[in-house]
Amino acid sequence: MLKYLAKRGITYVVMIFLTTSAGYFLAVSSLKPALLEQERIPRPTPEQVANSMRLKGLDPDLNAWERYVQWLTGVVTRWDWGRSPNGAFINAEFGDRVWISTRLFLASIILTLIIGVALGVYSAARQYKFQDRVITSYSYLAYIVPAPIAYFLVQLGAININETVGNRIFFVTGISTPGMEAGWPQIVDMAAHYAVPTVAITLVGWGAYQIAQRQYLLDNVNADFVRTARAKGLTRNQAIARHALRVSFIPVAQSIAFTIPAIFAGGFFAEKIFAWPGVGSWSIDAISLQDVNAATATLAYGSVIFALGAILADFATTLVDPRVRVQ
Amino acid sequence: MSSETTTGSGTTASVNSTADAVERLHIAGLHAPTGAVLSVRDLNVRFNSENGVVHAVRGVDFDLLPGKTLGIVGESGSGKSVTSLAIMGLLPETAEVTGSVRLKGRELLGLSDKAMCEYRGNELAMVFQDPLSSLTPVYTVGTQIIEALTIHNPTMSKQAKEARAVELLAMVGIPSPKDRLKAFPHEFSGGMRQRVMIAIAIANNPRVLIADEPTTALDVTIQAQVLEVLHTAQEETGAAVVMITHDLGVVAGMADDIMVMYAGKPVETGAVDDIYYNPRMPYTMGLLGAVPRVDISEKSSLVPIDGIPPNLLHTPTGCSFAPRCPLATDACLDGEPALAPVSGGALHHAACIKSAALGGDVDVHDIFAAPPVPESRFDAIPREDRATVLQLKDVRKHFPLTKGALMKRRIGTVKAVDGLSFDVREGECFSIVGESGSGKTTTLLEIMEFHKDQDGEVVIGGISNKQAADTKTKNAMRRELQMVFQDPTGALDPRFTVYEVLAEPLQNAGLDRQAIRKRIMELMRLVGLQPDHVNRFPNQFSGGQRQRIGIARALAVNPKLVVLDEPVSALDVSVQAGVINLLDKLRAELGLSYLLVAHDLSVVRHISNRVAVMYLGKIVEMGEVDRVFDNPRHPYTRALLSAIPVPDPHVERTRERIILKGDLPSPLDAPKGCNFATRCPVFAALPAAKQEKCLTLEPPLEAVAPSSAAQALEPAAPAPDQRFACFFPDGELDEDMLVTHDQAEHHAP
Repeated sequence: MLKYLAKRGITYVVMIFLTTSAGYFLAVSSLKPALLEQERIPRPTPEQVANSMRLKGLDPDLNAWERYVQWLTGVVTRWDWGRSPNGAFINAEFGDRVWISTRLFLASIILTLIIGVALGVYSAARQYKFQDRVITSYSYLAYIVPAPIAYFLVQLGAININETVGNRIFFVTGISTPGMEAGWPQIVDMAAHYAVPTVAITLVGWGAYQIAQRQYLLDNVNADFVRTARAKGLTRNQAIARHALRVSFIPVAQSIAFTIPAIFAGGFFAEKIFAWPGVGSWSIDAISLQDVNAATATLAYGSVIFALGAILADFATTLVDPRVRVQ
Repeated sequence: MSSETTTGSGTTASVNSTADAVERLHIAGLHAPTGAVLSVRDLNVRFNSENGVVHAVRGVDFDLLPGKTLGIVGESGSGKSVTSLAIMGLLPETAEVTGSVRLKGRELLGLSDKAMCEYRGNELAMVFQDPLSSLTPVYTVGTQIIEALTIHNPTMSKQAKEARAVELLAMVGIPSPKDRLKAFPHEFSGGMRQRVMIAIAIANNPRVLIADEPTTALDVTIQAQVLEVLHTAQEETGAAVVMITHDLGVVAGMADDIMVMYAGKPVETGAVDDIYYNPRMPYTMGLLGAVPRVDISEKSSLVPIDGIPPNLLHTPTGCSFAPRCPLATDACLDGEPALAPVSGGALHHAACIKSAALGGDVDVHDIFAAPPVPESRFDAIPREDRATVLQLKDVRKHFPLTKGALMKRRIGTVKAVDGLSFDVREGECFSIVGESGSGKTTTLLEIMEFHKDQDGEVVIGGISNKQAADTKTKNAMRRELQMVFQDPTGALDPRFTVYEVLAEPLQNAGLDRQAIRKRIMELMRLVGLQPDHVNRFPNQFSGGQRQRIGIARALAVNPKLVVLDEPVSALDVSVQAGVINLLDKLRAELGLSYLLVAHDLSVVRHISNRVAVMYLGKIVEMGEVDRVFDNPRHPYTRALLSAIPVPDPHVERTRERIILKGDLPSPLDAPKGCNFATRCPVFAALPAAKQEKCLTLEPPLEAVAPSSAAQALEPAAPAPDQRFACFFPDGELDEDMLVTHDQAEHHAP
């Protein structure tokens, strides 16, 4: 198993290198930060711009290959991912951003999974009954409503609660209030900031898992092996719980592993709306600011997360499904 | 069977009052014969469907005595499986089940799911049809057997349960059972999985074991093994067995009693000999006449039962079989006949108003108007003088087996087809038989491939794959050779009307619209379909009719040779008979040649002139069909033939059968010498010195040497058309692989 994972790991490292390099060439040939600099008032001379860019390692006079070699040498030898046109160091900013994204999404991903899968099982066991209809209709609604609108609605709800109570219980934007004293007040402040985005992302997210888990379980509820289990003397519900559930979880486990990276790297709506400056919004900003190094770094991050997700998917599948275990 | 007059639900008015009284007694359990372990009375099952209420089972009565076997026989849709699931309480909650099911006097119907769990898997156990999907893929076999033990013996210790599981696996014949406990279902073959299913079913020594088509999905040799295991299981546990099947051969040797079901009702019941030797219901007679026999060479047409079973949305007002019965008269349409005693067998009942007239020497071929045996103009011409339509010369297909993702290493070769040579002459049917994995289908694919880079030469209608295999020659070849596929539903595009299906090959052949229209009408009549049905879609036809469409499509371009890949294995016996008769007729009328691949040797014997037996990619015996079947020389042919159950209880009970050990080995493990040595009953009994020869030398496919006496008598006689690949065809068979069922066990009730 370890050997297998190591093999997969090496494959993914090669893939990450290739996508990142391709991304760098695309960025370096289409993003021209020097042009933006020229729009400044007072307008700098082209020599000034080129000079300032050269100092930040973004020399516009070098060709794409030369810049790639320069950039790659920095990454490989010094783990230096370069600088932005505004002079910021990618490494420093990247760390902050990843940490913010992780904090924003981690709790909601876990909640989304647990609630989604649990509701899927619950609704499958009560197929076409009232509870199933309510839960599944909600999930489809969550699918249809665009995420930003759903986030706004949750924000409005939180504001409503604040107004009703007459006290600011929830913060609808931001990460924390600066200058809180350490200890209890800081924890309360953190919870007040976390609550709204976590609830919003969870409410929107679980629908997909609920629908998938319900569907896969229903596919297996009438499977021959469930009938065999009942013929052994298990009640229907016992047979489903012991035999159908694990089989139906195999495809869900795979999809989970693959959606996690998508949420991490692509949650820019949530980051923008709740004003948590994470990786997702950074990648969009990087492109509009013609920031070659930041754009490449976010792309590399996305690839790494995706590879981790894929390995996680392999791992999860082998864990629940003996048929794919490698000898 | 009970000693009472059991009655169905739809009795006529005159006997209704008495019937009701008897019925009440039955339900009260007073009339059940003492000692019956399972009594079923007036079992009715209704399903709500979108179109209305389907009355799937309509009044089934039977009693099962301990240790006895009841065979329930019928076509698909006759209510056999629903009956068994109703007894087990495994029908969906929406099904409405009424009547009475008593296990040792305790009523089972109406029990909650939880209360039924007391009985299920304990005193009442079941083996299902499809072993591939009946085991949970994510648990080990041991876990699944132990689960069955845990449910009913919560106090049993872990060691005891494990020991019992090993004992059960050993009992059903799984080698090294202790290690196999930890194996997952996907590591077992189909036959092995069915053995595990049987082990689970008998884990708690059930009183009643229901087997629902337990061998339908399996190869014949494996079927013989599994039936043997069921036999052992019954002996070990003393359980009464309900054996549900559509194959009259399978139950002939096992059952004590038979119940024939049609349209949800028993239409004939009785001791096994009564049903097989003295059937009194036209449906039973038709079923028996529809089965081709592997042990009889006499050429007669099969008995087709036209039409399809009724739709049970509406209760039949007359005899449910009347629309398909050639003997039906107006009287048959007046009320559904009840099961009535038949003279002769003590417990023999039939639901037919004419049963009295059907006894004795009434020939089923007369009743059902079986068509005359068609005669081909080629029959009179000796085989050597007929043109060759297909010839294979040393055709091989080897698949490399590789390992590694990036750097592929060749770790072995799968010899799917290994040096095949045979020819098919005009007007003859050549069949290839063998177990799954023997290379039959690969052979067909190689013929259809027709590429010059193939290993070996394929000559179709004088065109060789070596000379020119460009598109034009290939098109010419396709006009010579057409194919009919196994699954008629999958082979027809559901969005094409029959007209479009049949027009496609004709358009390819470049015919104009008028000619196409004319040819399609011709084809429809040729295969026995109504020409005005051409605008229907495939789903508006029954399975047998769809296969006829498939045959018509193949015949559209007037091929010389039709390749038939298991053409009837997906069809019910009664329908199968019609399709086989059609194939027979077409061969004679159109002078077609067939290359048939089938696993059902009875069908092969019925339809073919010559046969080749394949084992692990090689032909082990080949020759004229009657010679090979009556006087098989290769031990594998003998084992295959011995594995086919014959629908004749006397023959089944007394004959000696060869039960091969294990499954077809992986082609990777093929030994250097004779491929069959690992499973060969002759090899097992040979002295070591001779065994050496089998293991090191590959036996060539050679003609039977005429005995010296015969040569002396008639020196110019041509060698008989039979060749086989075995060094010791006359060797003794290994005792361990021979089984004869003790006559005493099967004393007729």
